Amino acid sequence: MSEQLTEGERTVLSELKNLGQRVSTSQLANNLRQREERVTSILNSLASRNLVEIHSREIVSYSLTSEGENYADNGLPEVRLFEGVKNLGGKASFDDAVTHSGLDQKTKEIAMNWARKNGWVQISKEEGVTVLSTLIDEAESDVADILLQLNSGKDTVSKNQSDYLKQAIERKLVSETITKKFEAEIIDSEIRKVEQLLSAGVGGIGNLTPEIIYSGSWKEDSFRPYNVDIIPAYANYGKKHPYAEFNDWLREIMIGLGFTEWFGPYVETEFWGHDALFVPQDHVSREVQDQFRVEHPYDHGEIIDKKYYKGVKAVHENGGNTGSKGWDWPYSEEVATRLCLRPHTTPVSMRYLYEHRESPQKMFIIDRNFRSETLSATHAQEFNQCEGIIMDKGLTLRDLLGYLTSICKAVGIEKLKFKPGQFPFTEPSVETFGKHEKLGWIELGGSGIFRPEVTIPLGIRDPVLAWGIGSGRLYMAAMGINDIRDLYSRDLNWIRRSHFISR
Amino acid sequence: MIVECRIDDLLSLIGKKLTLKQLEDRLFMIKAEVEKIEGNIIEIEVNPDRQDMLSTEGIARAVRSYLQLETGLWDYQAKKSGKQIIVKPGLSKIRPYICCSIIKGIPSDDEVIKEYMHLQDALTSTHGRNRRKASIGLYVYDELEFPVIYGPQTPSKIKFVPLGYGYEMDGPEILEDHEKGREFGAIIEHYKKWPLLYDSKGQVLSLPPIINSNDLGRMTTETRNLFVEVTGTHLPTVHQALNIITASLAERGGKIESVTVVYPDGATDETPNFKPEKMNLKIEDITSLTGLELTSKQIVQALERMGFGAKILKSNKVQVLIPAVRMDILHQVDVIEDIAIGYGFDNIEPAMPQTMTTGKINPVTRIKNKVRDLMIGVGYSEVMNYIMTSPELLNDKMLRNRPIITTGNPKSRNYSVLRNSLLPILLDFASQNQHADYPQKIFEVGDVAIPDETMETRVSQVPSVCGLETDVRVNITNLMSEIGFLLRNLGLEDRFSFESLKAPEFIDGRSANIKIDGKVWGSFGEISPEILTNFGIGYPIVAFEIFIPRNLEWIE
Repeated sequence: MSEQLTEGERTVLSELKNLGQRVSTSQLANNLRQREERVTSILNSLASRNLVEIHSREIVSYSLTSEGENYADNGLPEVRLFEGVKNLGGKASFDDAVTHSGLDQKTKEIAMNWARKNGWVQISKEEGVTVLSTLIDEAESDVADILLQLNSGKDTVSKNQSDYLKQAIERKLVSETITKKFEAEIIDSEIRKVEQLLSAGVGGIGNLTPEIIYSGSWKEDSFRPYNVDIIPAYANYGKKHPYAEFNDWLREIMIGLGFTEWFGPYVETEFWGHDALFVPQDHVSREVQDQFRVEHPYDHGEIIDKKYYKGVKAVHENGGNTGSKGWDWPYSEEVATRLCLRPHTTPVSMRYLYEHRESPQKMFIIDRNFRSETLSATHAQEFNQCEGIIMDKGLTLRDLLGYLTSICKAVGIEKLKFKPGQFPFTEPSVETFGKHEKLGWIELGGSGIFRPEVTIPLGIRDPVLAWGIGSGRLYMAAMGINDIRDLYSRDLNWIRRSHFISR
Repeated sequence: MIVECRIDDLLSLIGKKLTLKQLEDRLFMIKAEVEKIEGNIIEIEVNPDRQDMLSTEGIARAVRSYLQLETGLWDYQAKKSGKQIIVKPGLSKIRPYICCSIIKGIPSDDEVIKEYMHLQDALTSTHGRNRRKASIGLYVYDELEFPVIYGPQTPSKIKFVPLGYGYEMDGPEILEDHEKGREFGAIIEHYKKWPLLYDSKGQVLSLPPIINSNDLGRMTTETRNLFVEVTGTHLPTVHQALNIITASLAERGGKIESVTVVYPDGATDETPNFKPEKMNLKIEDITSLTGLELTSKQIVQALERMGFGAKILKSNKVQVLIPAVRMDILHQVDVIEDIAIGYGFDNIEPAMPQTMTTGKINPVTRIKNKVRDLMIGVGYSEVMNYIMTSPELLNDKMLRNRPIITTGNPKSRNYSVLRNSLLPILLDFASQNQHADYPQKIFEVGDVAIPDETMETRVSQVPSVCGLETDVRVNITNLMSEIGFLLRNLGLEDRFSFESLKAPEFIDGRSANIKIDGKVWGSFGEISPEILTNFGIGYPIVAFEIFIPRNLEWIE
């Protein structure tokens, strides 16, 4: 440890010396206009150098309970009962006295017990009725006095009332709090050393300036030490949102696996949102209770590629040239052009395939989707999906399971189970379950091979594997979030203190 | 869809003792998932394509096959009853099709009746598209006088006691007062005449697709013989629904009899029709979709485990018989998937990925990331908000009148429109965080949606960056330096300019447009106290927002 004082130590030590006596840290902090934690931390450092001694003292303070406050305001029950009897001529039945003094059922017994114990009243039975008569002229209660003192802002009472204080505590009118206070003083034997340090150390270089460096004067001088072994205070600087960082991480993984990121809009025609995916036009997922319809300022979009539209229409009506039966149901252009908020990111895959019809292809997107839900701890009207497709000659269900295995491994999930699933646009369809270190077996997402009804209208004959992962769930697990509303937390304090770290 | 079964009943229909764990594992492998087990009740989630599994009987049938307790085609025999259903003219535009069956000798305790009702509900809500395409009715067979007649009737002349009521109602009363009438009335109410089903004694069976008669349509524990009818607008759907419900009743030991439906043009239809459809598959197609090298024997075995009939033909083909209760087989791939399921997903070895491609980030994401980095460099902290918000926030509180993409069916007005600007969103964020330490510097980079008639979806989705700083004192010169730093690092030195702006959200004389190559792309300024008050904010704020064109036209 340096034999010089830091700036902070100097200020504290010098104030302590000026005061010349034992002083509390809070007073010291107050004098120096510093935070008490900082002063305490400096005092600890001085104590470790044997210049200062720190004493801790327990300080007992008293305050009123809510019952105590009530009695301080309205009078102690026993005093009120005594006054009641006195006002009724010094003798009255218990019931009359209670009524007259306005006591309730709960407090009347307390009142009688204490009035008798204090020797204020005498109790007798006359014709089966309890009768009270006063024994003294005025009731003086130390307990009442204590309550009044504490109610006026004091937190201690004089020594000679300590028995009554005990009584008040037992009656749960007053509560006792013990706080630890620290006091510091300069160690007597070290006073010379302190003086030396204070006088010698005023010199030394504070800020290193260009002049000092240029002149070389630092060679003859010393540097004033700073207090560098403290834990710094919280500070807020710019940083990324943890959920955005999580999505950046996923994006990095997908690109590493050879996937190209693509874009598709939030507002879609149902043509892209459903028809192109062979979802029948009367499917429940298109109903208003599931999917947001866009109503204003436009409620319908347009069909750009009429040839593709005709192919999709034929597939719906009779299977077209795909070898499928189709839905055997009239296909409506009105429904096809209806605008919706996309309920999944799969239309983005279709838009990508529309522009990339030659193998091999790998594409992914991580973006927002919408479902008409009421916001709650488990449901939100918006959720992120991470999904992708792989198109190549000769791909099979086995390859799909292989890709799912490598994607899940990349996001840290090693153990998988596959279950046959069902999606209108894939066949076969697979649901993937993964063993998560925190959550146990969870459903990770759906996948499958696009149906011929989906790919053939684009002229695509090669298999297209499609997969999606519910990425929000993984993020919630990573961050220990249980409420889905905290994905998009609006609490700046939480954002400032949270961080996402991946290995 | 959730199917609720009694475990003892399910196991007795399966015909083998299974532990719950074994049952759960088997169900998992045939697309069904156990949701909950409570006492003797098990809740099983069935995928919507497997309408044939929407009942305890259907699930039991699938498990029984999968366990190979009984393999091969799910086949049902129907004896001709000789009874007729006469369809009268005038329904072709309303609800033209009807298919019926008779099942004799069914057990019917209260639990079983409840299950029939559940299956009826589940089938008509999903497969029947909420009764629009198909609806089902069950009746006490012994009380009917054949032939049964299906014909159009004037609503006011329709008179019968609807199920669950003690008095007679006419057609319009049923649509107005009966809960089923209110729920499903929209399907028929706009027609002059409504479909009615009645017998030769003139007793009404039902007003399809709304409600059955209370006299003929109420099953009791005494009922042993049932008459089932399905009416609808799509003949294959009507046939399939009848097949599923009839087969389910037969699974409990009922004997099926068919009836003849006679249409007005003289055409007849003997229903139910359980004749399996034939499909020929090339073995190479099975291999190329699944990646599994299966022997002919394995293929036949897998198909038979899934309830199909199968036979290997010469020429490397397999002939498949599709059970008449499967309505999800539209294409060969649907059968091939079942071969993979029958083979067992747990037996399929994942293959290591071979497709070589190079991955790329989207250029817009790259620019967004650059903007985020620059914002963090000048000390802003990133926030993320919902895309959906309220029109009050976007326009009213901001004293703006910008066009907004609005949804027609929001669950809450707070999330009913798409944000068209980030500034109101960040102001709202700031208003929620007045307890947090100051200064606060926050930003968001994200898309906003703006109506645009020229687009395919009538929307331009534009990336935007918005930065906001709030403290006891704010400094516009500082903010301008920060915007300058951002734009210069986007390669816009000498191309951007600021031009003083009068806008209600900013204090006059303290705001400007941000122009790039002479065109306005954003603005900045000190937020006016009126706006701050609208948001309930007590501290001053400076902020800016810049739209980034999706085609990145001003990025070099």
